[in-house]
Amino acid sequence: MSGPRITLIVLAWNQWQLTERCLETLAATDLEGAEVVVVDNGSTDETPERLQGIPWVRTLRLPSNAGFVRGNNAGIAAAAPGSDVVLLNNDLEFTQRDWMRRLAACAHSAPDVGVVGCRMVLPDGRLLHAGTYIMPDTLWGQQVGSLERDVGQHAGIEEVEGIVFACAYIRREVLDAIGPLALDFESYFEDTDFCLRARHAGWKTLLCGEVTLIHDEHGSTRGDDRALMELFQGSREIFRRKWQRELDGRYRCQLLWQSIMNFPTGYAMSCRELLRALDEQGVRTVYRYVYGPKTVFPPVEPEASGDYRLNVIRGRAKPRSPQVSVVYGQGDVFARNQGRRKIGFTMLEVDGFPRQWVEQANRMDEVWVPSEFNRRGFLDSGLKRPIHVVPLGVDVRYFNPRIASFSNPAGEYVFLALFEWGERKEPGLLLRAFNDEFGAHEPVRLLCKVINRDPGVRVKEEIRRLRLRAAGGRVAYLFNLEFPHYQLGALYRSADAFVSVSHGEGWNMPLMEAMACGLPTIATDWGAHQEFVHPGNAYPLRVRKVVPARAKCPYYDGFRWADPDPEHLRFLLRHLYEHRDEARARGQAAAREMAARWTWEAAAERIIARLSAMGALPASAAGRDLPASGALPALPVNDALPASGASPARQAGGAATAV
Amino acid sequence: MTPAPPAAAPAPASDSSSELRIARLEGQVAALEAALERRSRELQVLQRLLCPRDLVQWARVAAGLPPLPQIAYEPGYWHETRELTVADVPATLEALWYSLHPERPSGPAGPAGPLRTSR
Repeated sequence: MSGPRITLIVLAWNQWQLTERCLETLAATDLEGAEVVVVDNGSTDETPERLQGIPWVRTLRLPSNAGFVRGNNAGIAAAAPGSDVVLLNNDLEFTQRDWMRRLAACAHSAPDVGVVGCRMVLPDGRLLHAGTYIMPDTLWGQQVGSLERDVGQHAGIEEVEGIVFACAYIRREVLDAIGPLALDFESYFEDTDFCLRARHAGWKTLLCGEVTLIHDEHGSTRGDDRALMELFQGSREIFRRKWQRELDGRYRCQLLWQSIMNFPTGYAMSCRELLRALDEQGVRTVYRYVYGPKTVFPPVEPEASGDYRLNVIRGRAKPRSPQVSVVYGQGDVFARNQGRRKIGFTMLEVDGFPRQWVEQANRMDEVWVPSEFNRRGFLDSGLKRPIHVVPLGVDVRYFNPRIASFSNPAGEYVFLALFEWGERKEPGLLLRAFNDEFGAHEPVRLLCKVINRDPGVRVKEEIRRLRLRAAGGRVAYLFNLEFPHYQLGALYRSADAFVSVSHGEGWNMPLMEAMACGLPTIATDWGAHQEFVHPGNAYPLRVRKVVPARAKCPYYDGFRWADPDPEHLRFLLRHLYEHRDEARARGQAAAREMAARWTWEAAAERIIARLSAMGALPASAAGRDLPASGALPALPVNDALPASGASPARQAGGAATAV
Repeated sequence: MTPAPPAAAPAPASDSSSELRIARLEGQVAALEAALERRSRELQVLQRLLCPRDLVQWARVAAGLPPLPQIAYEPGYWHETRELTVADVPATLEALWYSLHPERPSGPAGPAGPLRTSR
C-alpha cells in the first residue's frame, strides 16, 4: 500500500456480540496496510477469551475499565510508531469496503486537514451524524443529521466544527502536535475538545460524506441513563471552564433579526437558512417574530422550530436597545423594526412595490432586496433610501446531484413542477401546453406538486375546466402534500426536468433547488430569478409582453408582470424531451454554478459585508458588547440523554462506549 | 339490466332422461338469473353509496388487483381539502409510480406516512 500507515483502534467493554459484529464486518473491508488493535477496557464477559481466537487482531488488555478517554489513549500509545490512527467504537458496523481508504484520502487531501469523520446512520437507516456543532449558549453538543431519513444528504466533503469519536481518523502530525485525548474528561466532550485543540493548532476537521457507517449508538452503555447524565454534566462543566470564553469569542457582532421562522412559508424557510449561516459565520443573531396580532399576519408563531440551533437563537434575550435590526419579511412590517440602525429586507413578484411598503422602507437606514429586478422596482416606486442587492442561496448539502433518486421505474421522462394553485403561477398554461404538446402514447409525464390553501379555489373543478385531452400528455398530481424540506432534493432528483412557469417571482427557491440538484430547468424569462438563471444554465421561457398583474393579492395592484409565451413553452418541453444529453449537460452546469456561487454561506457573507460597510460591524469586535456566558443554563427538560436516539437534541460529546 | 324471467315451472314427470336434464338446466339458469339480479341490486346500492374512489378501490380488490395508494394522484379521486398532509418523498414516489404502472413487480412500501419535519 502506498498510503499512510494506519492503526485502527477498536475500544471494547463487554457486550461481546457488538464487538464480534464490528470485527466481522470490519474484516470484510479493505484493510490493506492497516493494523487492528482492540483495546479491551477491562471486560468481564467472554470478550477476552474470544479476542484470543482472532489472529488478525492485536489485543491490548487493560486490567479495569479506564473509561473512553484513557482507553483510547492506551490504544493510541500502542499504535505503530508514526502511523495515523482511526478511533472506532465497538458498536459500529461496516458495510462499505473502501471506507478506510476514503477516510485516509480525505485526511491527506490537504496539509491542514487533521481530523476526519464520516456519516453514521442508525441501524434503521436514519442519519445520526454528519458532524457536530456546539452553541456557546448551552454547551450542549449537537450532531448534524437530526435523525433525518437518509436521502444522501451531506454526502460530500465539508469542513465541520467537530465530529463524534465513534469513528475518527486522526493524522499522526496532529497527535504529535497536540497529544492524545485530553485527560480532563473521562467521557463526553473529549471529541469536541480534541477538534477545538486541533483547530487551535491549525488543523481542520472534515466530514467525509463519502463514507457511511452504521452506528448502534450507545450499544455498550444502553440502559444506564442516570450514570451517563452525571458523567455528561461533569464533563460539560469542565468543558465550560476550558472553552466558554473561546466559543463566546467566535461572534463578531450581534444582530437583531425580526422575521418569521416556524411557518411553512418562503420567508420562513429562507429566514432559517440565513440565521444558520449567519451564526456559523460569527454573527450572534437574536431572533424575534415580526408578525402576530395587529399585523398583516396575526397568528402567533409556534415556539419549536425542530432545529436546536434555531431554538437557541430564538431563546436568546433581546438587547434593550439593539444596535442593528433587520426586518426580513413583507415591506408592510418594516415599521416594527426595533433597531437603532434599521434595515428592511424584502422582495415582491411584480415590477413595483406598494405605496405603504415604500413609505415604511423610506424610514429604514437602508433596504435590501435579493435581486436587481426588485431593486429597480423599489426605485421606480419612489424609494429614497440606499438599496442593496443581497441574494438568497441554496443548501448544497441537501440539494445536489448526489441526492437519492426515486425515479419512475417505467422509464418515462418526467417533468416536475411545484406550485401553489393561483393566478401568479397560472397552472393552466403549463397543463395545457404539456397536454397539447405530447400524446398519451409517449413515455413522458408531467408531475405537478400542487398546494391549495385557498377555500375559494376548487382545484378539481379548475382542472376539469381545462378540458385536458385524454389522448394528450399525461399528468399526475401530488395534491396538498407537505414534504420535509430536507427531502425535497429527492423529489427533484426523481424527475428528469423542472418547469417553473409563472407571471413573476420574488426569488423562486424551488427553481434554485432544482438547479442545484442538476436538473435542466425551464423558467419564465422575467422576475427575480433572472439573478441566477441564464441560457447557459437553464432554458429561459420567452415572454410575449408585460401585462397588468391581476390576482387576489392586493400587493400587486397597479403593477405588471410577465405574460409567458405558450408556444415557446411547448417548444421547450419538446426540446428537452428530445435533446436529453444537451439538457442534462445544462442541468449539470446549473448544479456547478449553484454550488460555487449561490450558497447560504455566500448569502451570509454578503450580509456581513453590508453590515461592515454601513459601520454596523466593528472590524475587530470579537466578543465585544456581547453578554458574557456565566454558569451553565439548566438543560431543557426534553434534553435528557437519549437512550436510543429518541431525543431531537442529540448530544455529541463523545460516543459513550466503554465507560 | 334486463329483468330476469320468472323461475321456470318444474318439468313434468317423464321417463325421458333428456327431458329431465333440460328441466335441471332450466332450473340452474333460473337460479343464476336470480343471483345475477340480486348482485345487480347490490352493485347499484354500492354505486349510490360509495364515493368514486372507494368504488374503484372496492372494484380493484374484488377483481384481485391491489388497491390504489392512499394518496390520490388523479383529481377525480381527490378529497378537496385545504389541509396539508405530511408525507415522505421516497414512500410517496414509490406509491405514485406503482399506481401508474401496477404491472411492475415492485410494490409500494405502504401509504406515505408522517415523518419528522425537522432538521
